Amino acid sequence: MERLLVGLELHQQLASSTKLFCACPTVKTEEFPGKFERRLRPAQSETGHLDPAAVFEFAKGRSNLYFWNPESSCLVEADEEPPHPLSREALRDSLLIAATLGSHLMGEVHVMRKIVIDGSNTTGFQRTAVVGLGGSFDVDGVRVGVQTVTLEEDAARILGEDDASRHWGLDRLGVPLVEIALEPVDGDPDLVGRVALHLGRVLRSTGKAARGLGTIRQDMNVSLGGGKVVEVKGVQKLNLLPKVVEYERRRQSMLRRVAEELQGKGARRVACVHADVTGVLRGSASPVVSKLLSGGAKAVCIAATGLGGLLGWEPEPGVRLGKELAEVARANGVGGVIHSDEFEKQGIQPVEEAAIRRAVGCGSEDALVIVAGRADAVDRVVPLLADRLGACVDGVPAETRAPTDGGETRYMRPRAGSQRMYPETDVPDITVTEAEEAEISREAPEDWRSRVGRLEREWSLSRDLALKLYDADEIERFEELARRLEIEASFIASVFVDLPARLSREGVAESGYSHSALAQALEAVASGVVAKEAVPDVLKAAWEKGMTVEQAAGALGLERIDEVHLAGILDGIVSRQAALIREKGDAAFSPLMGEAMKELRGKADGALIARLLREKIAGFSRAPD
Amino acid sequence: MGDLSGYKGAALRLLEGAGAAVGDVLEVRTAWGAVTGTLVPRYLYGDGEHVVLKLKSGYNVGLSLEDISEVRVSAKGEKPSFSPPPPPESPEGLPRVLVIGTGGTIASRIDYRTGAVRPAVTSDELRSLVPELSQVARVDPEIMFDIMSENIAPSHWTKLARRVARAVGEEVDGVVITHGTDTLGYTAAALSFALAGVPIPVVLVGAQRSPDRPSSDAPLNLIAAVSVAATANFSGVYVAMHLNESDDRIAIHRGTRVRKNHTSRRDAFESVDVPLAAVWGRGGLEHVAEGLPPRGREFEPSVRFDEGAALLKFYPSMPGALVRAARRSGAKVIIMEGTGLGHVSEEVAKELKSFIRSGGMACMTSQCIRGRTDLSVYDTGRDLIHMGVLQLGDMLPETALAKAMWVLGTGARGEKARKLMAEDLAGETTARTFPG
Ligand SMILES: [Zn+2]
Repeated sequence: MERLLVGLELHQQLASSTKLFCACPTVKTEEFPGKFERRLRPAQSETGHLDPAAVFEFAKGRSNLYFWNPESSCLVEADEEPPHPLSREALRDSLLIAATLGSHLMGEVHVMRKIVIDGSNTTGFQRTAVVGLGGSFDVDGVRVGVQTVTLEEDAARILGEDDASRHWGLDRLGVPLVEIALEPVDGDPDLVGRVALHLGRVLRSTGKAARGLGTIRQDMNVSLGGGKVVEVKGVQKLNLLPKVVEYERRRQSMLRRVAEELQGKGARRVACVHADVTGVLRGSASPVVSKLLSGGAKAVCIAATGLGGLLGWEPEPGVRLGKELAEVARANGVGGVIHSDEFEKQGIQPVEEAAIRRAVGCGSEDALVIVAGRADAVDRVVPLLADRLGACVDGVPAETRAPTDGGETRYMRPRAGSQRMYPETDVPDITVTEAEEAEISREAPEDWRSRVGRLEREWSLSRDLALKLYDADEIERFEELARRLEIEASFIASVFVDLPARLSREGVAESGYSHSALAQALEAVASGVVAKEAVPDVLKAAWEKGMTVEQAAGALGLERIDEVHLAGILDGIVSRQAALIREKGDAAFSPLMGEAMKELRGKADGALIARLLREKIAGFSRAPD
Repeated sequence: MGDLSGYKGAALRLLEGAGAAVGDVLEVRTAWGAVTGTLVPRYLYGDGEHVVLKLKSGYNVGLSLEDISEVRVSAKGEKPSFSPPPPPESPEGLPRVLVIGTGGTIASRIDYRTGAVRPAVTSDELRSLVPELSQVARVDPEIMFDIMSENIAPSHWTKLARRVARAVGEEVDGVVITHGTDTLGYTAAALSFALAGVPIPVVLVGAQRSPDRPSSDAPLNLIAAVSVAATANFSGVYVAMHLNESDDRIAIHRGTRVRKNHTSRRDAFESVDVPLAAVWGRGGLEHVAEGLPPRGREFEPSVRFDEGAALLKFYPSMPGALVRAARRSGAKVIIMEGTGLGHVSEEVAKELKSFIRSGGMACMTSQCIRGRTDLSVYDTGRDLIHMGVLQLGDMLPETALAKAMWVLGTGARGEKARKLMAEDLAGETTARTFPG
């Protein structure tokens, strides 16, 4: 099997107090009182060359609507004021991260403009600077090299889009971000997942990483057997990485095999012809076609030589060339693509197919691709699809793709060319002072592995719990409570890391979570007011209904009952079930325990109930009739 | 020896020793590894302790000399050959517009290798950078100067006015002048007087964001300016700049009533105390004010300026010596920016009095920018009138300065000059001010 290589690029927001090039705070905004509209146009390079990704965005002719709120953005984000000098705080934080990864720190930092024309930056470029070169780390015996560590501004947040424009929130634009580009590693999905996990933990160890949803994103450069590099952009969930790698392996391998089939037939390039088939298809028996053609839509059919049977071919599960074409069309605003390998499924009759072939003037071996939709969009998409079909013989095309929620990838746009970086002349170069370097080496963080090891040993935690505490960034709060309260440390740890996840699965809104309630609940356990078992229900109620822990326990009737009261209840059960005990002796414990728990769940410790109940059963048995 | 622009000191010696030039691919050995990249120019204020390479990824990195053990040229640089995409065809019979460049770049391309920015100089280059122009007019670009806008002087106004006057005879339908924004308002005012009565639209245009960036306001401002110059049914001197922060509408300001009122916003230019002359949208002119002069007027340009005018801003404690200094530097007219309705301190008033006595002309405008002067309300004002200070009403201070230089340039002196200063010649002053 050919070798799959995966180069990870991790993007981590920094927990800095201000944005990278202005004094705005880094806060998320919910409401935007202001908006304005912009259009970006590709800048031409000295060679007259225009970046393919830039042309792609410009051709779509969409404008960008930017929404802003003075609480989170100023004229700098609106591109109405030059950038202020680079935040020294963010620079130091990024240098610390670079140093932690063993990178060489740059003596002089040069801010660049990287052309990004999808509207996510009001300027049409992202400001970015290399702060560290090289370095490496070890993941379970595999050495992973670091290419560069860069400090850059985060992009605007997409709020939505329609045919005419994309909508962006300016709150995220300019938030300092560190990008760590790794050397490619072997495309073993599991290894890729572990590398990303490790890197995330290294970042956390520095204390400079921002926390929360959307603060970390992974891009991936994936190539198969030395083929062209495919960029997958913006994987937010770590557990998707292995799936995405595996999907890309299947997809790229399918494209390879299609190319081999074509090369086997001696093809050097797939020839394409196309013709308008709107008239031919009008009144088609296919419900899909007639739906696509309603409302004055246009249909063009492309015929591609030698591709017959290859569009619907699925040499690996879930990947087909036909799907690729549909994705390219959709990214360009055309949803209606039907190819000849699915004509039967889509209800296109053989007579219709024959008529289409006559209209296009092609043989029966050629593959057909019908593109239907708004006339202008169809006209724009047809040459793109013809190009894409023509290049099938070359294997995997270089492109930028986006991950889906299910861990697949979808076409986004052609890959940006290399001619897209030039100096940001509005920001002076920065010399890193010796004092700053010294400060950074003083701040070197403890390796996360040693920190987790310490946690395990000091509190007799399982490795799993210790890791979860580390990943949730809860060590400090955990240790404070573990020192103060007389409860098992592992119970405290599990309340910290497992409970919020469990309640989130049960649909409790995370916005209601509070650490003080969590601490109160543990304090209530320590002082005997609430049983351990009641903690989940009490916290759920407290967070859902905005109550204090005491109120929640009271409302649920889950206040712990004292031992005397408990003994009384158990006595009642034992006397009700006297016959059973007489019949079964100690074996009556199980059903009685069941009954007791029904009544007492959450009000008393299970172990205590069991002990008292056993005593009572034993006492009853010994008692004279 | 190749080009090593910007390098100095130890870095320069190291690069010279290696026979390197900007654009070459260098392999630099350092204590921590080898770095390969293209040598890029160093900025003026860079130190002599770093070598800047552009990596294959496109990033520039500054390598400290103390880390470098060896520099080797691994490939000599090649100048990129320029082959722009062909400009779109222009339909037949479009109006002709002369586009005069003065140094503010309105369209340019980037050398990604070195970061240099080069302005468009030919019609093809301009049309390939802003293809929409081809649908609007036949454009003839012409670079007249290549200077920063703060270095524009009355001598440049004269050259511009002469060129425009000549264009009127060359069957040009309109003229566009690209100009740095800092002094755009002064030039617009100056040309309004020099070209009073011009029979075609003359539209000055600038950009608040440089054209080397995708978000530049330059292309849309230029498209609007060319479109107005080509097709508007009015004539005169105007300024075309963004109406607001959005890329959808362009404000067309009267040349004598426009002022840059913000350092950086796209909509920095505002018409002061008068409505906009017109608003341009993507479909063309959307709104045109009433009473603009029609095309095809007869005109007699008077293109000379005399620099013997000064603009002084009054401030509390301003020494009278500043007025004397203006006079000594050759000022025959002093435009004062007074406080409020047009006031200055007794000390300054005294100096103005002696300036007038010695034959100078003193004019009063207001630093409030909006509203008109009125020296009849307070005693201090009446004193100024009495000593012969000419109040200029709602004339902008900068417009008044350009006008004074033009008045002097016509050769007018004394009462004749006073009369010209006070009269409305190009919409620079109006008798009525409106709310809003
Ligand atoms: Zn800001």
